[in-house]
Amino acid sequence: MGVQDSLETVQWDVSEAAHITVDNDYCVTCEDKPCLHLCPAECFDYQADQKGGIYFAYEPCVECGACMVFCGNDPEKGAVSWSKSEGGKGVEFDFG
Amino acid sequence: MTAVDFDVVVVGAGRAGTAAAYKLAAEDFDVALVERAKQPGMKNVTGGVLYGQILADLVPEFPEEAPLERHVVEHNIKLLHGDAEVSIGYRDMDLLEEPNYTLMLGKFDRWFVDRAVDEGAVFVPETTVRDVTQARDHAVVHTDRENGDLACHAVIGADGVNTTVGRATGIQRTMRNPDMALSVKKVIDVGRDTINERFNLDSDEGAAYIYTGFPEGAPTIGYFIYTYDEYISVGAVGGLEVLRWLGDEGYAESGTPLYSLLEEFVELDTVRPYVQGESLQEYQGILLPELSYESLPDRYDRRIALVGDAAGLVLNKGYTFRGLDYGIKSGLLAAESAIACDREGNWEAFGRRYDQWLENSYVLQDMKQHRHLPEFLKNERMYGAYPGIATETLRGMYSAGSDAQGLTWKQAYRAFRNSDAGFLDLLKDGYRGLRSL
Repeated sequence: MGVQDSLETVQWDVSEAAHITVDNDYCVTCEDKPCLHLCPAECFDYQADQKGGIYFAYEPCVECGACMVFCGNDPEKGAVSWSKSEGGKGVEFDFG
Repeated sequence: MTAVDFDVVVVGAGRAGTAAAYKLAAEDFDVALVERAKQPGMKNVTGGVLYGQILADLVPEFPEEAPLERHVVEHNIKLLHGDAEVSIGYRDMDLLEEPNYTLMLGKFDRWFVDRAVDEGAVFVPETTVRDVTQARDHAVVHTDRENGDLACHAVIGADGVNTTVGRATGIQRTMRNPDMALSVKKVIDVGRDTINERFNLDSDEGAAYIYTGFPEGAPTIGYFIYTYDEYISVGAVGGLEVLRWLGDEGYAESGTPLYSLLEEFVELDTVRPYVQGESLQEYQGILLPELSYESLPDRYDRRIALVGDAAGLVLNKGYTFRGLDYGIKSGLLAAESAIACDREGNWEAFGRRYDQWLENSYVLQDMKQHRHLPEFLKNERMYGAYPGIATETLRGMYSAGSDAQGLTWKQAYRAFRNSDAGFLDLLKDGYRGLRSL
């Protein structure tokens, strides 16, 4: 079972406002692109036509915060700007 | 004196925050419990056992009243090595005397918040805290609601590993990969009878399984299986630093996502019998603090106290995870500090007093005693060479094959010589293990 199938079991009340944004200018110089294998919800996708090769979608985010740590907080990376989703929005786990 | 809306505002309705709100409400304090989810538990994920004595002290009727999953009577540590597994099992019916349970936070947190509200706490859901500021004689919690700022004497930041209270106030330093672990988890519908058959359990007895050694030699990567009433959870945990380079170091061809490791794990011959026929109910991901006692960040600033995961109060002991009870205990200590401040009419000492009491509590004493553990658990030999030596020795004991000749100690010696570990490593690791476990 791929992670996309797994993610179909998760519920969201998607906010209109993105709680995470990615500045692709940083992705241009990022060689190893850890976001592609570290995000547990595959919010980061490699797309050659995107600046720096990274397409980001906040909608399926499970709000773990890993991208803030491995990219946003990394002085050599820093593409990710992170905040908590607005009140009542975002992922809704039933079986935490 | 500025008028305050509440004596104390608690940010985050997990177990730590709710315990604090419950305690304060029971003492007739005006306390708000602010939660960004619609319902308690919706943003929370655990993979673990609640060691419930501390909660039983606070809410004696909890084992009867709370929605609990299974009463844990068995713990297993499993060292994987290729197709083989060495298992250390501990089953003890005396564990039934202790209130230790597996939980589903969706149900449990709702119950706990309801109990706090019964005591008089004001629950404020669907509200995200953006900042906390302190003035001369009060603090203000800034939320994303219009006119939603709450003035109070003190703030308890129980808002989890990615604490806004900690980061916005600068109490918590910037977290980096070596201090954090990622976990993914699947909740699978197996059915009550099948669980009891597969795990050799009776009625509501529960079991916990911890695995290491897959992929071979990858440090800090571990797996768990917990039994719930009708479901089981199966998950993987790995330090972000290791996951970041896993693959580039040669464990796989490219960076291997944790969810892919979990997929491979559940297909292992030794694991599949427990989880097969899976009907996936939910997939989850969460970050967890993996700090040692020495690297814990600050926990307070005047009228602000951080508790639970927000303060990094989690300990991976290798054979079990502690965190749920640490959260409850730290929340209670913050509440007790508020009670003492109110009695003295001086709230300036709120954070410092909490921190002193926490330092003397079993939570930080535990973390202090095990302060070498996080480093010990980063040792590659624990995930490769040693499980290999153990399986090879046991194969010698139980296999009738021709390569398994000689006395057991000779086979063990041979297995050791065939491994990557040297004598000095063994001595060193043995010493470190004894010192930290």
